Amino acid sequence: MAYSDKVLDHYNNPRNVGSLDKADPNVGTGMVGAPECGDVMKLQIKVNPETGVIDDAKFKTFGCGSAIASSSLATEWLRGKSVDEALAIKNTEIVAELALPPVKIHCSVLAEDAIKAAIADYKAKEEKRTPVGAVTA
Amino acid sequence: MTYFEAFGLEPKLVVDVDDLQQRFYRLSRELHPDRFTRRPVEEQQQALEKTSVLNDGLRTLKDPIRRAEYVLKQHGFDIGEQRTKDVPPELLEEVFELNMALEESDREQLDGFRTKFAAMLGEIDGGLQGLFAAYDASQSRDDLQKIRGVLNRRRYIENLVQKIDSSI
Repeated sequence: MAYSDKVLDHYNNPRNVGSLDKADPNVGTGMVGAPECGDVMKLQIKVNPETGVIDDAKFKTFGCGSAIASSSLATEWLRGKSVDEALAIKNTEIVAELALPPVKIHCSVLAEDAIKAAIADYKAKEEKRTPVGAVTA
Repeated sequence: MTYFEAFGLEPKLVVDVDDLQQRFYRLSRELHPDRFTRRPVEEQQQALEKTSVLNDGLRTLKDPIRRAEYVLKQHGFDIGEQRTKDVPPELLEEVFELNMALEESDREQLDGFRTKFAAMLGEIDGGLQGLFAAYDASQSRDDLQKIRGVLNRRRYIENLVQKIDSSI
């Protein structure tokens, strides 16, 4: 199968590969996978607690070119977005941007799932951090 | 008709493969086209169709993994689809770490991993036998869920072995 130029570009020069400190209260980690193709995708966001904006996003994906490109693109899009804006990212936008063929759509779904999982992890940490009965203005 | 029904078997996960093979030979003989030359066309057609079910059924039921996947599918599990929600985080974590380790391995270490994965697959297959028997006795969805989890892990490890094989 021929990959699109954009997939190849992300595959050959993946953006934001790496990891953030999982224990950092401002970091949300999402780990998702597809046993059928052997893919595992880890995506992390770091949220600025003052502004609620995603300052940094990193990923590491073991899988096919489309899975790598989908998560690489996702980290590019996540940077500079608020958490709510990030939640609005749809897999179909990834499909369109990377011109993914129908058989590779599940890779974009995986990336969307990873974004959602990372945000859910961040939000869970945020809730825990807010002390019970704290006085809010 | 399910594959089990085609062979006149109860839908159990533990299957006597020799018995299955014998049933296949006997039923195939009964359905052989030579026996149907003087029969109506519909009967000939039915015999052909049943033979095709038997062939697919033998291939599926003979292999314990395919058999389990078949039973899971019949119970509504989304087997063979590229996306599944119910992969536990521990498994993803384990597979991620193994992938990381493979990426940093030299050839000798890869050989070591291959040996390790073969042992893991052996252990998994041994464990499946027990889970199959447990499901046959309980017929419970919980037991199917457990089997599904083990099959996911098995698939991941098989993929890792393939990765090693293609990189050496």
